[in-house]
Amino acid sequence: MNRHVVDVDLARERASATPADLGAKRRQPAGEIRDRSGVANAGTSAAQARLDPDLGGLRHQQLWFARAVMTPELAAAVVTDDDASHVLTDGPRLRALDRLEIYRRSYRSRLIECLADDYSVLKGALGEAAFEDLCQRYIARHPSEAPNLNFFGRHLEGFCRDEAPSPFPLRQFAGDLASLEWAIVEVIHAPSSAPLTLDGLRDVPASAWAAARLVPSSAFRLLSFENPVNRYFQAVREGKAPTLPSAQRSATVVYRSGPTVWRMDLTVPMFEVLSALVAGETLAASLSRAEASFGAIDEQQAAERVLGWFRDWVGGGLFGGVELR
Amino acid sequence: MPNRFGLPDLGVGLGLRTVHYARILEARPVVDWFEIISENYMQTAGRPLHYLDAIADRYPIAMHGVSLSIGSTDPLDRAYLSELRALRDRTRARWVSDHLCWTGVAGRNTHDLLPMPYTEEALDHVVGRVRAVQDFLGAPLALENPSTYVEFAGKAMREWEFLARLAEEADCALLLDVNNVFVSAYNHGFDPRTYLAAIPFDRVVQLHVAGHTHHGTHIIDTHIGPVVDDVWRLLGDAWQRAGGASVLLEWDAEIPGFDETHAEALRARAFIGEAA
Repeated sequence: MNRHVVDVDLARERASATPADLGAKRRQPAGEIRDRSGVANAGTSAAQARLDPDLGGLRHQQLWFARAVMTPELAAAVVTDDDASHVLTDGPRLRALDRLEIYRRSYRSRLIECLADDYSVLKGALGEAAFEDLCQRYIARHPSEAPNLNFFGRHLEGFCRDEAPSPFPLRQFAGDLASLEWAIVEVIHAPSSAPLTLDGLRDVPASAWAAARLVPSSAFRLLSFENPVNRYFQAVREGKAPTLPSAQRSATVVYRSGPTVWRMDLTVPMFEVLSALVAGETLAASLSRAEASFGAIDEQQAAERVLGWFRDWVGGGLFGGVELR
Repeated sequence: MPNRFGLPDLGVGLGLRTVHYARILEARPVVDWFEIISENYMQTAGRPLHYLDAIADRYPIAMHGVSLSIGSTDPLDRAYLSELRALRDRTRARWVSDHLCWTGVAGRNTHDLLPMPYTEEALDHVVGRVRAVQDFLGAPLALENPSTYVEFAGKAMREWEFLARLAEEADCALLLDVNNVFVSAYNHGFDPRTYLAAIPFDRVVQLHVAGHTHHGTHIIDTHIGPVVDDVWRLLGDAWQRAGGASVLLEWDAEIPGFDETHAEALRARAFIGEAA
């Protein structure tokens, strides 16, 4: 069985620390922060969205602060130097706006770091600058509303397909790659379930086979792509520096067995069978789909091939049970 | 049992991080206890819990949260609290802590520990919410002083006074992070020992230490690298004032191997030993 383990723990923890890597753009000395807001203040539309600091009460203070922190950096004019000094105190060495800027940078850095953890191969494919640009726009479009960041990146596949700053084919590749990487995250967090074993499969009476339905494990995702993204993903994992491949349809299953996440490329007949099983079709109906896509091989060969798949799939823990009706 | 809540001094522990899972489960090193980031094990039913269950079976656990948002003016998130309580019960965590901060408002979460204005209004607000959370959990909540990079104009009191009054009025526990005291002292220009002198140490159930990153004009609480001696000395002072408390090292970026990280945590013994 040609399968590969996901050997990096993508579920990196989120912590209470302030991110150390505030990004290249965000490593400027404090003095430049004021310059940037000054530029933005000179007649940009952002300047018109300036926050009113003359608001009393805890609720208003929090709304002001949150908006100042979450507003994209290029719209820094929402808070002027004077506004910041009205709400916050200057420190011993930094003025109020510079102190506020630490939170603004931290907000984006933490979320970009999260997306980079979940989409490390996509980051490499796009390049750091393009990935960060994509993330900045993603963060503005999809701010977090959850208590943790486990699923913060769930919209990135669609966002890539619509917004990745690249020619159309690369944009589709980015979308496919994001889809694969997100499936890994989902599978990491999916409920654990006891796998169907080969012994369990042998217990199925021969007379019940045709009408039986195999139930996929809850930690199972079946994916099809316009690009060979799993091959690309694997090459990156092996430390290679693959060039972006030409479009070529591919299919991959991602699943977890115990704590281990696996990826496995599928042939067209394999994909047909698994698609049918996932859709709830019976074994007989699913197998007939495989036969249709085999082309000219004899029945015995086809049966042996399919039997081999099932041994691999069940042995690998793809299925959680079998339903007999 | 030096603290008024009767919570145990677990010794010197380590923040549980995924890069150390394999080493912990394979080598079963002798570690006094682990602290988990609560949210890393919430909204998941998969691999994180697989590892956590195995580790919680072998080591004492305390839970440390980053999204309770106790200071927010949004309503308390009951679904979050329910999940927090379930995780506490699942891991048999000795206590639950979070930060004196807010993380978002109007339904948005910045995932940062945002500073409170230290006003009477804010104090009343947080006291009420701490009491509600403690009622829900059926146990004292330990609140940690955060590192801060700004202070609000018009504050009525300094952070240490706010924290002390909050602890007394809400009858909650404290997790004193001496690295955060050090970081905020530098950023705001106060003496960290003034801060310690104001803390009701009978409420301190845990002490944090961590590394930080010094930028000259300010210090960022990055949890990177070894703990500096000034922070170790503050730990010794705080531990002595508390008459003993559980100590924990947080190391969250550029994390070395387990043995090196644990060895750094165990340096605490020299400082609390000197102080004791």
